[in-house]
Amino acid sequence: MGKTIIEKILAKAVGKSEVTPGEYVQFSASRIDHPFILTGTDMSERFGKWKSQDWTLFDPGKIIFAPEHCGSYTRVGSTTTNRENHRRNSNWLKQLGVADENILELGRIGNCHHLAVEKALALPGSVYFSAMTDGHAITVGGVGCFGSCMSASAPAFLRTGWTWFRVPESIKFNITGKLQDGVMGRDVYEYILGQIGPTGAIYQVMEFTGPVMDAMSMDGRQSMCCLAMFTGAKTGIVNPSQEILDFFKARTKVHFEPQYSDKDAKYIKTYQYDGSKIEPQVVVPPDRHLVHNIKDVEGTPVTNAFLGSCASGRDEDLRIAARILKGHKVHPKVLFNITPGSTDSMSRVDKEGVISTLLDAGCFICAPGCGMCPGFYTPLAKNEVCITSSTTNLPGRMGDESAQVYLGSAATVAASAIEGKITDPRKYL
Amino acid sequence: MALKFKGNVWVFGDNLDVDYEIVPFRKFDAGLIKLEDVGNWCMANVDPDFAKKVKKGDIMVAGTNMGCGHDHFQANLAIKQCGIACVIAESFDRNFFRNSIAVGLPIVELKGINQFAKAGDELEVDLHTGTLNNLTSGKTMKFTHYPDFLLDILEVGGMDPYADKLVAAGKIKK
Repeated sequence: MGKTIIEKILAKAVGKSEVTPGEYVQFSASRIDHPFILTGTDMSERFGKWKSQDWTLFDPGKIIFAPEHCGSYTRVGSTTTNRENHRRNSNWLKQLGVADENILELGRIGNCHHLAVEKALALPGSVYFSAMTDGHAITVGGVGCFGSCMSASAPAFLRTGWTWFRVPESIKFNITGKLQDGVMGRDVYEYILGQIGPTGAIYQVMEFTGPVMDAMSMDGRQSMCCLAMFTGAKTGIVNPSQEILDFFKARTKVHFEPQYSDKDAKYIKTYQYDGSKIEPQVVVPPDRHLVHNIKDVEGTPVTNAFLGSCASGRDEDLRIAARILKGHKVHPKVLFNITPGSTDSMSRVDKEGVISTLLDAGCFICAPGCGMCPGFYTPLAKNEVCITSSTTNLPGRMGDESAQVYLGSAATVAASAIEGKITDPRKYL
Repeated sequence: MALKFKGNVWVFGDNLDVDYEIVPFRKFDAGLIKLEDVGNWCMANVDPDFAKKVKKGDIMVAGTNMGCGHDHFQANLAIKQCGIACVIAESFDRNFFRNSIAVGLPIVELKGINQFAKAGDELEVDLHTGTLNNLTSGKTMKFTHYPDFLLDILEVGGMDPYADKLVAAGKIKK
């Protein structure tokens, strides 16, 4: 019997010849010899009481500290000075033996899920952990890696390197045809969400396959996997492409073994969609699963646009925004916040002139990180209306609870920023 | 602590979000709710008096996708702190499931529980044997019990005391 990519990754990670859905397995970090755990500030903010105890880390060399969520910004509703927290946490980790070069400082950071890939912590065929309360660690499914956030298990995991998994069932999404120009990976995910609903994949893996996925960039794949939680999934995953293997070979000397689903692997369900027919998708407030074709909401006025977060802000997103905005200006009444996902990404596209195009068009460009998604930098004010490529649109997520948040691809966000209303990006391409 | 509980049932619906139905996260994030007394806010948006009415040892029954949304473990702590001994649901969100084990909140995934148990019924659940008795209706259901290591984690009260145990036993290898 064939196995799915996720079953193969988990079997390898726990040192078994095979694992079966429903099985509980034990994992020991001693099986992995490179840094593969990323922690953030909320670990010690939220788990503060553990900090005072007599702690040791199971292996300080396997941990990278990136203060992207709270360490660097002032945040909506925040009651503490994040910079002070960051300093305190950095000192604490240093005492525990984490090396200076593994404690990342502003200027060398970005959104943690971007960093997991940029710093080659999340390798194809392997497992990767975020020792934070951040479920979007599953983003790395886009490079063929199983990512998981440790959440309330984080303190115990950091002390022992031991944790457990329940092996999930897999659902196959076969996406045929070819995407239209201006339709992105993001649109494919939202389309699927519209089809199967918010409970369509509870505790299951969404494996995206087919000609559309084969042709999709690693950036688009990561966008899709990042969002898999909104259909209830444990993670999204894609079999890695040559582009992805080359990306990691250029970044790390660590040996990695990519895994691929067998042709006769067992799926509990298979869905088939024609990618050529997928239109740009927009999720409307106040629910995360109210998905529409863009023509249903075209013309809705917006006051803000945001491009960034773990669901976006990669090279491809920044490039398509520049392509759309070239020769145009952001609408005079719109604040367009663009927050690249990482300094590496920002630096790469800057060499192509992308950043200057965005600045010339009147975009407000922020330092790499999570950006407005959890309300950093330019949180939404009362009654503002935002179109964004970030993760979710729950009331209050990006600022004031009265603000309205529409979700779309980076292309849709850029086109809407020009016109000051929700706009189909295909007319600018 | 033996993982065997007897208590009265409280029934809730499907898709309870950790940040809305279970604990109002905005209030938590703004510092208005302390972790020590998060139990007083359990289910406050659904039934403001729930935390006052629930008795220690009671059992919570929910529908599908219990604990959906983000992976905020305050929700699991709130349920445990307010006195609920065990949560039984048709299905659990993945993060909620893990966080329940992590904070030492016993949970059971059981298809058909919404038909089997009604509000106010008295249930007896045994995690070791995988048995659920409805003492009010006289009916019984069986479920696949957890492997021993997960039962151990729940028995000692969650991942942190379990980590203490692993460290004390010298079982940590680099």
